[in-house]
Amino acid sequence: MAEEQKEAKPKKRKTATQAAASIGPMVKEFITGTLQARAEGKQKLAYTFIVCHHEEIFRAMDVIPLWTENFAGICGAKRDAERFLQRAESLGLSRSLCTYALCGIGFDQWREELGEMPPDSPWGGQAKPDFMISSGQILCDPRSKWYQASQQFMPDVPIYNIDLPYPLFQKEQDHRDVWDYYHKYIVKQLRGLVAFLEEQTGKKMDYDRLRELVDLSDRTWNLIDETYKLRRAVPCPMGTGDAMNTMVPINFMMATQKAYDFFVDLKKELEEKIAKGEGEVENEKYRLMWGGGLPAWFALNDFNYFNSKGASFPVETTYRMVAPLNEMDIPETKDPIDHLAWRWLGFWTFWYDKAKKRPGSEPDVEHLINWIEEYKIDGVVMHEAFSCRTWHVGLIWQLHQLAKIYKPIPVFVVGKDGKREKVYRELPSLILESDIIDITSYSEVDTRNKIDAFIETLESNRVNKAA
Amino acid sequence: MDEKQGNILNTIERYYQDYGLRAKELKKEGKKFIGYICSLVPLEIISASGCIPFRVRGDIHEPITKGDTLLETIVCPYYRSCFDLSVKRKYEFLSGMVIPHGCDSMVRSYSAWSYSLPYSYFHFVNIPSVCVESSFEFFRDELNTFRESLAKFAGKTITDDDLLKAIRIYNENRDKVRALYEFRKGDPPLISGTELTMTLTVGSSLPIGEANTLFDQVLVEIGKREKSHLEKGPRIFIDGACIDNIELIKLVEEMGGNVVADTICNGARDYFPRTDLGRDPMKALAHRYLDKVNCPKTYRENKTGTFEGDIASRFGDIGAYAKEFKVDGAILYVYKYCDPFGFEVPARKAYYQSIQVPLLHLEDVYSAGTMGQLKTRIQAFLEMIG
Repeated sequence: MAEEQKEAKPKKRKTATQAAASIGPMVKEFITGTLQARAEGKQKLAYTFIVCHHEEIFRAMDVIPLWTENFAGICGAKRDAERFLQRAESLGLSRSLCTYALCGIGFDQWREELGEMPPDSPWGGQAKPDFMISSGQILCDPRSKWYQASQQFMPDVPIYNIDLPYPLFQKEQDHRDVWDYYHKYIVKQLRGLVAFLEEQTGKKMDYDRLRELVDLSDRTWNLIDETYKLRRAVPCPMGTGDAMNTMVPINFMMATQKAYDFFVDLKKELEEKIAKGEGEVENEKYRLMWGGGLPAWFALNDFNYFNSKGASFPVETTYRMVAPLNEMDIPETKDPIDHLAWRWLGFWTFWYDKAKKRPGSEPDVEHLINWIEEYKIDGVVMHEAFSCRTWHVGLIWQLHQLAKIYKPIPVFVVGKDGKREKVYRELPSLILESDIIDITSYSEVDTRNKIDAFIETLESNRVNKAA
Repeated sequence: MDEKQGNILNTIERYYQDYGLRAKELKKEGKKFIGYICSLVPLEIISASGCIPFRVRGDIHEPITKGDTLLETIVCPYYRSCFDLSVKRKYEFLSGMVIPHGCDSMVRSYSAWSYSLPYSYFHFVNIPSVCVESSFEFFRDELNTFRESLAKFAGKTITDDDLLKAIRIYNENRDKVRALYEFRKGDPPLISGTELTMTLTVGSSLPIGEANTLFDQVLVEIGKREKSHLEKGPRIFIDGACIDNIELIKLVEEMGGNVVADTICNGARDYFPRTDLGRDPMKALAHRYLDKVNCPKTYRENKTGTFEGDIASRFGDIGAYAKEFKVDGAILYVYKYCDPFGFEVPARKAYYQSIQVPLLHLEDVYSAGTMGQLKTRIQAFLEMIG
C-alpha cells in the first residue's frame, strides 16, 4: 500500500540548551514505558488531552496518561504521519479536520485491524488504552469528537468526557459575576472524573496524595514562570525552538517531581548562560515573539533558519500553559478539586482585567502587548495550521487589532512642512502557513522566502528606528 | 407581509431573495432585531425581551472578500460567508448579535465579530458539551446570564410569564413546521424541498407572530393542492448542518429526486423538538437546547458498549424520519472544516448502512461554483438508487 511509504527522515534541530536536548530521549522513554506498562498490565492506561488540569487526579490514581496529541506530534516530527492520515481519509474523514485527531484515529483503526502495532510505528507505537478521557472544552471541538470516532474501532473501551468551560471575554461582562457557577460545574465534572477512575481502577482516591500533587504542580507552575521570565535577558538564552521541546514537561509531565526538577535544572542553565552573556544567537539582532499557532512539528528547523539571520525568540504564547499563581485573583481553598477548578478559571481569565483597561484590546491582544514590552520584542511571528481552528482562528484579527491600537516603533518621517517629525509605527508581523503534522501543506522554499522578506522589514526598522 | 393567500409562495420568494427586507421595514418602526447564528441560541429569550431574533445567513453566490481580511480561511465556509456579509453591512439593521458555542469557529471568531461590527449588543452563550445533570444546571445558569444581559439591553425585565408565553408561541411555530413536513409524505410530495427550505429560511427572518401567520398561509396554500407539481422520483433525505441556500436541494429536485425529509439545522433538527411547558421555563429551555436539539457538537455517552448500539442511540432520529417519510436514499452534506460533523462521517455512514438507506456523502465549500461538480455526483446517485 502507498500509505505504508514513510517520508525522508528530517534533519535534527540544533538546540540552544542542554535541557531542550534532553527532551527527545525523555519522550521516547515515556512512550516505551507506556508500552511496557501495557504489557505488564499492572496499571490502567488512559487516552487523554493536555491542558485539562486533571493530571494530578490521574497520577493520584496511578493511571498512566497516554497523550494522544503528543503521539500525533511525534509522528509529525518524524515525518511519519502521512500513512495514518491517509488511513483516516479512507474512512471518510476529511483532511480539513484536526490532523492530530486524524493521525490518532488512523493509527487506532490500523492497530485494531491488525491486532498489533502498525509496522515500524514511531517509537514502538501508541498502546491501546483501558479507557479514554476526552474533554469538551470551550476551545476544542475535536477533543470531544476524536475518541468517539476512535471508539468505532474499539467499542469495548469506555469514554468519560469532562466538560471544562470558562467564561469567554465579553466587554460588557465581568467574568467574576459568572464564575461561581462555572466553578461549581467544573468541580462537579472533576468529581465525576474521580468517580469514573475509581470505578475503572477499583481504587479509592487518596485525597492527601492528591493535595500533595496539586501542591507540586502549583510549585512547578511558579517555577516555570520564573524560569521563562529569565528569557527576557538580552541576549536571550533560550528561544521558542527550544521551548517547543520544554513544553513536554509543562504539558505532559505536570504533577511529577521529574517535571519540577527539569525546570530547576533549566533555570540554573539559563542563569549561567545569562551570567556569561550567552544567547541563543551569537549576534542577536532581532527579538521575535511566537505570537500564536501550534508549530509545524516537521519543520522545527525553521527556528534555526530564523536564528541564522540573527533572530531570536525570547517568548511564545503557544504551550506556555501556566501563569503565576500569586498573580491570579482566585479564592483560597484546601480542597484540591476546588483548587484545580479555580486554577483553571484563573488561568483562562488571566488577561481579562488588563484587557478591559485598554480601549480596543482583548485578552489575546493584551497578552501580546504585555509580552512585547516585557521581552523587548521587535516583531511577531504566527503560524496558521490549516487543520486546527482551536488555536488558529482569530490570529489575523489579533494582528489587525494589535496594529490598530499599539504602535511602539518610533521613526522619523518628513512631514508636510518638510520638517522631520517623529511618528510611531506598528510592530511588523508574519503569518506562516502550513499544518501541525500534515507535511503536504508545507513548502520550505516559500516559508523561507517569507522569512527573508520579514527579516528585511525588521532590518529596515532597526536601521530607521528613531533614537 | 399582507399579500393575498394565493401569492404567498411568490411573497416568500421575494423575501428569500431580499433577505432581511421585513426587518428593515420594522427597524424603521423602532423594533430591535437581534442577529443569531446556529440553532443553539434560545430564541424564546430574545422574543421575551421584546426584541426580534433574526437568523443571519450566508450567500453562496457572494464571493467572500472583506471577511477574509479579518478571519482565517480555515473557518467553515458557511460561517465565513455569514461573517463576510455582516462586515459588508448586509445586516446593518441589527441592533445586536448573539453567538453560541456551536463550534470552535464561533468561539474563536467572537472577538472578530464583536469588534468589527457596529452593533450595540453582543453576547456569547456557552453551551456544555455533555448531557448530564450538572451540565443542565450550568446551562440554566448560563441562560439566566443571557436573560439578564439582554433584559438590560432591552430595558425590560424578562419575567417567567414572558418566557412561558414565548415558549408557547415557538412551540406553535414548530407545530406548524411539523404540519408542513406532513405534506412531504405524499408520493410525490405536495410541497417541494425548495419551497419548504425557502419558507423556513424566510420564517427565521421574521417576528415569530408573523412567521406563524406566514406558515399558516403556506399550510392553507399547500392544502389546496390536489396534486403535486413534482414528478415522482427517489425520495431523498438531507443530512448535515445549516443549508440556508436552496441551490443544493433545488439541484436534487431538478435531477428528478424528491427531497422529503432532513436533519439539517434550519430544518428538522431545530424545528421538531418542542420545549416542555412547566413551572421553570429556564430549566425547560436548557433541556430543549442542550438535549433535544441533536447537535453533533454535544457528546452523548455510549451506554450500550457496542458501536451498533452507540450509533443507533446517536442517530436514531435519522432512522425514525427515514421510516416516517419513506426515504429511498440520503445525502450527507458536510462543509469543509466542520469538525463537529466531519468527525461523525464514518459513524453516520455506518448508521445509514445499518438502516439500509443508500448514502451519498458530499463535502462542499458553500459556493455556487461547486454546484456543477455536485450535479454530476447527485445525478449518478439518483440513477443508482432510482
